Amino acid sequence: MKQENEVKVLIIIPAYNEAGSIEKVTGNLIENYPQYDYVIVNDGSTDDTRKICHRNDYNYIDLPVNLGLAGAMRAGMRYANYYDYDYAIQLDGDGQHDPLYIKDMLARMEETSCDIVIGSRFVSEKKPKSLRMLGSNIIGALIKLTTRHRINDVTSGMRLFNKKMIKQFGYDMHYSPEPDTLAFLLNSGVEIEEVQVRMYERVAGKSYLNFWSSIGYMVRMIFSIVLFQWVRIRRNKKCR
Amino acid sequence: MSITLRVILLVAAIVTTIWILWQIRKHKVKLDGAIFWILFSIILIVIGIFPELTYKLSTLIGVVSPANLVFLVIIFLLLEKIFSLSLVVSQLQDKIEVLSAEIALLGHRNKDKSDEE
Repeated sequence: MKQENEVKVLIIIPAYNEAGSIEKVTGNLIENYPQYDYVIVNDGSTDDTRKICHRNDYNYIDLPVNLGLAGAMRAGMRYANYYDYDYAIQLDGDGQHDPLYIKDMLARMEETSCDIVIGSRFVSEKKPKSLRMLGSNIIGALIKLTTRHRINDVTSGMRLFNKKMIKQFGYDMHYSPEPDTLAFLLNSGVEIEEVQVRMYERVAGKSYLNFWSSIGYMVRMIFSIVLFQWVRIRRNKKCR
Repeated sequence: MSITLRVILLVAAIVTTIWILWQIRKHKVKLDGAIFWILFSIILIVIGIFPELTYKLSTLIGVVSPANLVFLVIIFLLLEKIFSLSLVVSQLQDKIEVLSAEIALLGHRNKDKSDEE
């Protein structure tokens, strides 16, 4: 049982057709990281993801239809809010993210009392040169330009959120778990920190992104960061 | 292309932009849904400011009046939007059906449980 004063941490695992890796990811959590709670958000998978979760008696919520990463994370955030968690962290169902680093990220959040900690691949490590990284660099440059803050790994999905952020991500229509939200939040006075982590290639299954959706993604990010963030209502600045 | 048409295009573009940005602020439209209208406005603005483009293009494809080409472009853009909206509506209908079925099943399971108690 958890102690009274211990902070409650929830690991949110969005899973869309991750039958090949979900057992490995969740098994590792249960065995080696029992101090954290977790919830799998099965995002309307068409493969055996749900069956595997059910058979292993994992803690999971089952979205009846496919909502995409943003919808799945929103469901996870609402879960975190409903069960009153202090912190929530996204950990992808494909085994890219290593829960080993959650400890460092939590420590950073407690010591700087920031709102978001990004598990970043490129704080002390160099960025490799690839098409994917070109996209990451463009978004990073736009964020630097519009917010005066440098984020080294804008597309990292491994992000730790505090209670205030959990609420906003669960209930605000425009809060996608994407870099454009980071830009908007930075301009709203939200503190974002980065901690160096290592990530792995996905074990099995397919990524959310292919070529055309990557182009669409870039267009969305550019519009959102350059234009849309300025018209959105900044609640954080006003109340604090 | 008359100056009146050009002014109308520019005014329409500006009004569209302001309107869609206002809808974003009021949480009435998702950011993804607004991008089309911004692009649409940009195209109108380009046509309004540089009518030479439409002159060249209309001689190229053999349309007599550049104004007609402008209408054609706008109609194509709107048709594309209707087409994609129609796809989205179908997908939403499908999702609602699945959601309703799942909720109904959930209610049924809960009823079974409370009957057992």
